[in-house]
Amino acid sequence: MARMKFLCDAERCIECNGCVTACKQENEVPWGVNRRRVVTLNDGVPGEKSISVACMHCSDAPCMAVCPVDVFYRTEEGVVLHDKDMCIGCGYCFYACPFGAPQFPQAGAFGMRGKMDKCTFCAGGPEKDNSKEEFAKYGSNRLAQGKLPACAEMCATKALLGGDGDVIADIFRDRALKRGKGAEVWGWSTAYGKPDKAQQPAPKGGKS
Amino acid sequence: MISARKLAVAVAALAVTAGLAGCGETEQVIVYEQGKYQGKPDTRPWENEPGASLYTTSKWAKGDKSSWESALRSRSQNQNEYVRIGD
Amino acid sequence: MLLTRKSASAPSAQTRLSRGLAGMLAKTIDRRSFLKRSGVAVGASASLATLAGPFNMIGRAEAASDKSAGGKVEIKRTVCTHCSVGCAIDAVVQNGVWVRHEPVFDSPLNLGAHCAKGAAVREHGVTENSHRLKYPMKLENGKYKRISWDQAINEVGDKLLAIRKESGPDASYWIGSSKHNNEQTYLMCKFVRLFGTNNTDHQARICHSTTVAGVANTWGYGAMTNSYNDMQNAKAIWFMGSNAAEAHPVSMLHVLHAKEAGAKIIVADPRFTRTAAKADHFVRIRSGTDIPVIFGVLYHVFKNGWEDKQYIHDRVYGMEKVKDEVMKWTPERVQEVCGVSEADCYKIAETMAKNRPSSIVWCMGQTQHTIGNAMVRAFCIFQLALGNIGKMGGGANIFRGHDNVQGATDIGPNPDSLPGYYGIIPGAFAHWAKVWNVDLEWLKKQYAAGMMNKPGITVSRWIDGVTEKNELIDQDPNLRAVVFWGHAPNSQTRGKEMVEAMKKLDLLVVIDPYPSATAAMAAMIRKDGVYLLPAATQFETSGSVTASNRSLQWREKVIEPLFEAKPDQTIMYLFAKKFGFADQLVGKKDGKQNIQVVKDEPVIEDITREFNRGTWTIGYTGQSPERLKLHMKHMNTFDVKTLRAKGGPCDGDYFGLPWPCYGTPEMKHPGSPNLYMTERHVMDGGGNFRANFGVEKDGINLLAEDGSHSKGAELTTGYPEFDHVLLKKLGWWDDLTEAEKTAAEGKNWKTDLSGGIQRVVMKVHGCHPFGNAKARAVVWNFPDAIPLHREPLYSPRPDMVDKYPTHDDKKAFWRLPTLFKSVQEKNKNISKEFPLIMTSGRLTEFEGGGEETRSNPWLAELQQDMFVEINPKSANDRGIREGEYVWVKTPTGAQLKVKAMVTERVGADTVFLPFHFSGWWMGKDMLDYYPDGAAPIVRGEAVNTATTYGYDAVTMMQETKTTLCQIEKFQG
Repeated sequence: MARMKFLCDAERCIECNGCVTACKQENEVPWGVNRRRVVTLNDGVPGEKSISVACMHCSDAPCMAVCPVDVFYRTEEGVVLHDKDMCIGCGYCFYACPFGAPQFPQAGAFGMRGKMDKCTFCAGGPEKDNSKEEFAKYGSNRLAQGKLPACAEMCATKALLGGDGDVIADIFRDRALKRGKGAEVWGWSTAYGKPDKAQQPAPKGGKS
Repeated sequence: MISARKLAVAVAALAVTAGLAGCGETEQVIVYEQGKYQGKPDTRPWENEPGASLYTTSKWAKGDKSSWESALRSRSQNQNEYVRIGD
Repeated sequence: MLLTRKSASAPSAQTRLSRGLAGMLAKTIDRRSFLKRSGVAVGASASLATLAGPFNMIGRAEAASDKSAGGKVEIKRTVCTHCSVGCAIDAVVQNGVWVRHEPVFDSPLNLGAHCAKGAAVREHGVTENSHRLKYPMKLENGKYKRISWDQAINEVGDKLLAIRKESGPDASYWIGSSKHNNEQTYLMCKFVRLFGTNNTDHQARICHSTTVAGVANTWGYGAMTNSYNDMQNAKAIWFMGSNAAEAHPVSMLHVLHAKEAGAKIIVADPRFTRTAAKADHFVRIRSGTDIPVIFGVLYHVFKNGWEDKQYIHDRVYGMEKVKDEVMKWTPERVQEVCGVSEADCYKIAETMAKNRPSSIVWCMGQTQHTIGNAMVRAFCIFQLALGNIGKMGGGANIFRGHDNVQGATDIGPNPDSLPGYYGIIPGAFAHWAKVWNVDLEWLKKQYAAGMMNKPGITVSRWIDGVTEKNELIDQDPNLRAVVFWGHAPNSQTRGKEMVEAMKKLDLLVVIDPYPSATAAMAAMIRKDGVYLLPAATQFETSGSVTASNRSLQWREKVIEPLFEAKPDQTIMYLFAKKFGFADQLVGKKDGKQNIQVVKDEPVIEDITREFNRGTWTIGYTGQSPERLKLHMKHMNTFDVKTLRAKGGPCDGDYFGLPWPCYGTPEMKHPGSPNLYMTERHVMDGGGNFRANFGVEKDGINLLAEDGSHSKGAELTTGYPEFDHVLLKKLGWWDDLTEAEKTAAEGKNWKTDLSGGIQRVVMKVHGCHPFGNAKARAVVWNFPDAIPLHREPLYSPRPDMVDKYPTHDDKKAFWRLPTLFKSVQEKNKNISKEFPLIMTSGRLTEFEGGGEETRSNPWLAELQQDMFVEINPKSANDRGIREGEYVWVKTPTGAQLKVKAMVTERVGADTVFLPFHFSGWWMGKDMLDYYPDGAAPIVRGEAVNTATTYGYDAVTMMQETKTTLCQIEKFQG
């Protein structure tokens, strides 16, 4: 079964923010809301690493667990979505999320003041697929067009991978084997649990 | 990779969705654990006619999840430059 | 205001996220993103509505669902208009509105990948809240007022004609653009000549002019020898003065792929850049000391005998003399001058020598110096010593800047050359007048007497053309009118003096999709005499664009010009009509017309075909519109590593027919992906070094040695370039058809309009039309024949100035007196007052002068503040904290109010500022001076407001990379 996942290869991410603007333009996300962002660690010194972060669509999503009005659902393909109509903007999901994914616009049209917004894996939300309403509230629904998230598809160095977890883990594993390092996939175990043996990306190499 | 608890959740979710799929409706309630999700129903991506959106590029058979999955899997390989370049 | 009421959750999310990440992965957090999120003072009221969101329907006709909106969806294939990588884009257009952007996975250049700029280009199609210049405007009493196109063309035209009549054509200055496509840039080159002046230039002057001159004089063509793709074949890559990860992000797709395959990456730079973060080895150098570093490395190559002796013997002139200079750069001396250790130099030498083919990359870090021409030659010499030029995986991978700066350099508005580097000698005019179908005698009369063959003023110096004493300039009038046709002002140095020049002008015209900082600077100091004309973007016209690797790609028109914008070719035609040379512009004479005109718009394909018919020197002849369009359609058939099509309709071609693509389109030359490659036949894109400097020098043979030739060549020795005489001597004349003979009589391979000479030499005899010679390690016609280190004019080291002084002053150089030694002497001890080395460069999110990208909300949000990178030590010594405003003061008396970014990225002796900002002037926001609704969202101090004097001794490249400053706490 396809389980949609994101994986960012820190050995390749150059912090060009292509994923960020790809998301912005694909979903027409307003100023101030960052569904995706790139975080750099050890900035400006040897060991500098960048990672692109958005909602990781966790297997056991903490946001879902804490939501007082139960607006979250996980689709069969493993994408965590929510119904904005029901969202009360309380912000609990933000506190629960280990990745800082939930965003809260300060003002908005369409009666959505303060409602939580986050990455949808370019899968829209609970409105008619590819309808005006869906686009207005949630952005693009690329999965319903047979495409993958714009951020991953447009990544400058193909560092950010998005798609069926098995497929992208394979892509990553081949790469990691080839270079003999960079086996650590940041955030993977937090979002999806510990990788099993079959999915362990690379046998050798420690922290990259 | 899946803990026992999560596995149970996943199985539960599967069971419910499988049940709903049997109703033959186009709009499906996507289920969170214990069926607590309070929001509006959503459609599964593969339930769409591929041509329903003018922006569609991939091909699958409406309602056939596995054909949709395989379309996406092959599209995923665009993220793997080794396929195009070779080693 | 909405924009200032930034979401409270966003910054805290960042902090929280960073904390979380830091815990998981590492110790320090991301300073840059702190800064970039911290900007809350984005006060452009014009962009308020972009916040109305969350998902406001920005400028779209799209209604209920994508389907119910009806209307056909069309896919238009175009190419990103930012950097020179040439990333393809599929624009989804519905009802004439650009609604989606899909990645083009089929493109062999970018495989669907984009950086922040490329992923955000759809904003160009957004009309609501657009920051574009929407209609022609005129400055009246210090305010921009809307006027009609007719009025604009008439008033600007009348004024230019009056100035030409009073002061001659050289009183005008035409700044063209590397943002124009090939057809527009070529037409502009012609347009300016028809007006009667060589006073024209574009971004290449301040970008890679030193490269073009230095490299062309070394081995033939002044361009990137290989390609981004070919870097996948490299086993080691040395970046010096290039920050590809931020300036050419998608190039890193190829570089990191190479790295995965085992290539070693070396970065030598004053900054620990994002490219350095991906390197195996980083070496910090003192800005401006590239030659000693390169020679310090070459020292170890020679010392260990790692040079390619056979290659040097066969294909290089003068290496022994260079070696004498190199061996003077002992490890001790290199350490003293550059601060680079012997171990570092050895490591680079060993890595590059033992992992061949090895490649080098340079950009503005080497070119923008007073000795830029010598720095780039030193790097070329390094590659020649290792035998890396003309090899797959080797080469000099010179990354160009703008999307079409290569094309504009090749065939655009250059002050010293007609299209194709023909120069401006009488023969060049004769050649082009014939191609243009223009009467040469008429053309001569357009020029002022004696000025036709004199190189014009460069864009780096136009301000001196206005303000310099008339008796000191090498043309009759001072400049009275300047036309900025797709060029930012804040990319040129000495901004403080630029406003003085702007003040003095009679007429300033800005033709641009974005009114640019020029408009605001002018309104700040003038009341009238300024016109703004809205040009269409490259998405609103069609045409070819040359990527850095010399591949041409064809852009389809995505949308109709927005607002009242017109394509540049139309604007040129309208002015040509006004000036009375419309017929000459489109080659209409004797019942023949080269370029058809539809509704005042010259037909793009006709322009392509015209330059196809004339640009024999660099092989812009084989790339017909039909062939280019075929390539765009069948991108998937091209191999990514070799760029060659395997099967399909383009079988055997290299993608985009990288120039030189010799002969007529019918000859089917496949293009040349890697220059000077003897392993390949010339009809397979192979070649050798160019014979452009004679056959011998002081009794030493300049032609290639026996046995060194391109594969399958009938001549297995070195040989000179081909002309009708040589053809006859060799007995090859009769291989020409009768028609070709008629055309080729008295001509050479560059001027034979039939292409017969090229066809016979290449196709029949397997030889190279430009001959087969050696590369020159010694360029005897340059000020320093062997590259010598000379300190920058504003040096932090008086002791080094004594040892390595700069050139003597020059009197008439590109029509202007140019100072070297007098400036250096005067400022020898200025580092006491201004102790920090000030350097500048690019950010990923913005490009060039930045008005366009800072007007794009998707990009602007990511970099909201102009900043200076300063080392913690320098910051602490000055009591400066992260995120605070500081004054950056320079010897010109200018001061910039910018935010401090305290980071180890720079050493304690250096500070770095990005150059894409404008819209603040020494502490003040210039918002009021922009035309209403056309100010960019993000504004900040332009670093070049404060940069100092200094120009390259060959090309007049400006010095931006090494000057001095002091930084002080901002006291409000």
